[in-house]
Amino acid sequence: MLILEFLVKRIAQGLLIVFITSLIIFTLLRVVPGDPVRLIVGGMAPPDVVEKVATKMGLRDPIIVQYGRYMSGLLQGDLGQSYLRPRSGMIAAGGQYVDPTKSDMALVTDLILERLPFTLQLGGMALLFALLISFPVGIAGGLHQHRWQNALAFGMQSLFVSIPNFWLAIVLILFLSIKLKLLPALGYQGFSYVILPALVLAVEIAPFIIRTLTTSLGEVMQAPFIDEARVRGLSRRRIVYSHALRNAAVPLVNLLGIQLSTLIGGVLVIEYIFDYPGLGNLTVVSVVGRDFPVIQGIAITTSAVFVFINIIVDLVAYLIDPRVEI
Amino acid sequence: MDLSLILEIDDLTVGATTPGAAPILDHISFRLSTSEIFGIYGESGAGKTVLSRALANWLPESLQYRAGRVAFAGHDILGAGAREVRVGRDIAYIGSKPQSALDPTVPVGVQIAEKLHSVRPEWNGRECRDRVMQLLGEVRIPSPKERYWDYPSKFSGGMMQRAMIVDAICAEPAVLIADNVTQPLDVTIAAQIVALLHDLCTRHKMATIYLSSSLPTLGQFGDRTAVLYQGRFVEQQPFDELLASPQSDYTRKAIASVPRMWETAEGPLARRQAQGEAPLMKVENVHRTYRARKRGTFNSHSNIQAVRGVTLDIMPRENFGIVGESGCGKSTLTRLLAWLETPDSGSIVLNGTSLGALSSRELIRKRNEFQLLLQDPYNALPPRTTVGRMIEESLLIRGSIKRADLRTRVIAEMAEVGLAAELYDQLPNALSTGERQRISIARALILDPKLLILDETLSALDQREQGRLIELFSKLQEKNDLTYVFISHDLAMVRKVCTRIAVMYLGEMVEIADNHDLFFDPQHPYTKALLSAAPTLEQKPFDPSDFLLEGEPPSPIDIPAGCSFASRCPKAFGRCRMETPALVEHSPGRFAACHLLDGDQAQAAA
Ligand SMILES: Nc1ncnc2c1ncn2[C@@H]1O[C@H](COP(=O)(O)OP(=O)(O)O)[C@@H](O)[C@H]1O
Ligand code: SF4
Ligand SMILES: [Mg+2]
Repeated sequence: MLILEFLVKRIAQGLLIVFITSLIIFTLLRVVPGDPVRLIVGGMAPPDVVEKVATKMGLRDPIIVQYGRYMSGLLQGDLGQSYLRPRSGMIAAGGQYVDPTKSDMALVTDLILERLPFTLQLGGMALLFALLISFPVGIAGGLHQHRWQNALAFGMQSLFVSIPNFWLAIVLILFLSIKLKLLPALGYQGFSYVILPALVLAVEIAPFIIRTLTTSLGEVMQAPFIDEARVRGLSRRRIVYSHALRNAAVPLVNLLGIQLSTLIGGVLVIEYIFDYPGLGNLTVVSVVGRDFPVIQGIAITTSAVFVFINIIVDLVAYLIDPRVEI
Repeated sequence: MDLSLILEIDDLTVGATTPGAAPILDHISFRLSTSEIFGIYGESGAGKTVLSRALANWLPESLQYRAGRVAFAGHDILGAGAREVRVGRDIAYIGSKPQSALDPTVPVGVQIAEKLHSVRPEWNGRECRDRVMQLLGEVRIPSPKERYWDYPSKFSGGMMQRAMIVDAICAEPAVLIADNVTQPLDVTIAAQIVALLHDLCTRHKMATIYLSSSLPTLGQFGDRTAVLYQGRFVEQQPFDELLASPQSDYTRKAIASVPRMWETAEGPLARRQAQGEAPLMKVENVHRTYRARKRGTFNSHSNIQAVRGVTLDIMPRENFGIVGESGCGKSTLTRLLAWLETPDSGSIVLNGTSLGALSSRELIRKRNEFQLLLQDPYNALPPRTTVGRMIEESLLIRGSIKRADLRTRVIAEMAEVGLAAELYDQLPNALSTGERQRISIARALILDPKLLILDETLSALDQREQGRLIELFSKLQEKNDLTYVFISHDLAMVRKVCTRIAVMYLGEMVEIADNHDLFFDPQHPYTKALLSAAPTLEQKPFDPSDFLLEGEPPSPIDIPAGCSFASRCPKAFGRCRMETPALVEHSPGRFAACHLLDGDQAQAAA
């Protein structure tokens, strides 16, 4: 019952968040400099053509009217059509005039659905790698607060934090991919293409996981119930793995929810560097091309994913520790 | 009784790992036979906890064994025998902090079954669970099958201590170590736990080491008792002989320091209300209900009825006591009396002025007249505040005094409460609890109050310091015409200090009477139960076995209809569950709320 109440409440909240995000993005796109029509019709087109196309596209209507139109489409599941991408998949380059009002432009929904799985795969793998790196180091560091394990955890976390992601990406591409030919790097032609970008992202998230794990596990190990578990007759293994880790996991799960935004920011850069065909890559290209409908669609999708994952995180935290207020 | 030797302790010496530190346990030796109960008395800091841990091979990292032997059934558990003897199965431990003893994220029953299964792997999961459920029932936890699945935060202190007893005994240990197990509990609950533990030890034939900082509690076991002082056994005797002929000065002093309530019929003299005298504070039918959102619902709230219709008259120069167990609403009432919270209904009239009718401006001035004594001002003030600054602060807030006069005024006040003038510029870090209490008294007194409200002020002090402060209070009362309200769970303190005493249960006053009447001729069954459970070494003026309570107070959320004490009252009868008894003055100055006191009704019921 409690969980149901929680879900209803949080989904309603989430819808509101998504709505507000879309409104902000929508307005910002239209008030900051950069006219998509100029890019569509090409630099050489006379101003009256620009105005004509813009009016035809509805871009000269008041923002609130445009937004209303967009929203009524959205409620029917229609995110609109790209300004730049025809259905064929080719990007319309400046100068080649493709009429963006015609129906041969790609549907934003299709564009996003096509890219989203790639990004989710990248994010998932990055998280998996990050956990694989952080858990052994973080647990050892948390259990041995005054020994070398803790120093190692600290060192690793400092090192990872100070590596810029684009630099690591380039170094890895040069060494592992070009020199040693161990892993492919650019584009996407199969699962192995996800490994390098995921590694780079993992290095970006791992330090936060390591730090949270060492400190929270270190704290839990000082708790009276851990001390008392020994005299109750529980083995060390059991104390650490079924009780200490469980308690230390609550702050960790919460952290993961928050770190999600870092991950999303990282994905943007990394996908672009590795020319990985995910949402991040699409975002960069669309922003450069002022492809309003695509940018709006991505913003809505990302905020929805964000809301969804945060609901999951809170639910997991509650399932681990029933005292957590949800 | 089976008298085979189960535990042999020889010359056990324990100290800090830092070399050169004095030992914490010094050559402790004793023998324990199966089914025997061995009591160990020690004041706080004597080494009880370290001894318990040393016996279970469970020393904290900062301590180490320096010498000695602990042998369980012939196996030296500190050496070669460690593998034969399993802590948690053969030797079990119960501590004084049940609330923090289990993982807060796993249900209580599940954790006990987990422990049982790991020390007795030969019993399968189902058997473990059934056994735990059955034992939870045996220690009288209501509806054990449901409570099995409840998380530790849902258990009260007393319930949790019962669960920890189950945790300790479920694997059928041969030796049970109980370290100050009743220390955090209310007297009525503590009395139940002691009785329960005694019964279990005898029935399950466990050799038990019962360590306590309360001699009267050990008296309930009555067997061989040792006195631990600064890590050494100063003597060992059967309990009755220990009381009758203590062999050491320390023991004699320890026995003398146990509070006495019935030793003399004297006590603080009752102040009869003079004809037409007006009360200093008149509390009329005050209620305070808190609302808490119910979990698992959108918008329904539960009402926590913390204070339910309290009516009191506090006369000038009276020492008024309010006693009750934790959760009965004492602290809420304190906040209402100090007007830190306003009552939902009812009124408080101070010196003829109703506090509710004052504007906030007038209230600030009026506040000088009644002061709540902070329990520990040191924690309530910013660090690095000097003693002088702490005391003058309340004056400064109210302005209206010249800087130059301030210091003289504060130093005079400090002298009055017995603080040396040198302390003025010092930080209170190195001060004892007693000295800190004096600071908070000075802080309040400097405003020339008429009424001082003291919440558990004297309970944390040792007997000597308590005595000194009581003296100070009576001196100040003479001089400044003060009235005190003492709110406490400590019956012995109240007996020593208060002229009139109110007993509170579940947000209501169940009895109000003068000191002597309340202690020697209590009227209400709850008062009798409280007095019965009070740990003293004396003969009580009535038969305590008539008034042992079962169970815990009901929650202030679901207050049963009728008399609120009916669910635990040993004398409850039909009418009690239907009709709420009113607080009635049965004879002059003696109020009680119980149907048994309506003469005719009681006869009809009997
Ligand atoms: N882990 C520890 N390290 C060092 N000293 C300790 C430790 N635990 C307790 N002590 C000291 O041992 C003495 C006895 O403490 P304790 O056994 O807790 O007393 P009790 O249980 O009788 O109140 C005290 O002086 C205390 O400061
Ligand atoms: S009214 Fe009944 S239940 Fe209440 S105290 Fe008196 S006898 Fe007990
Ligand atoms: Mg102790």
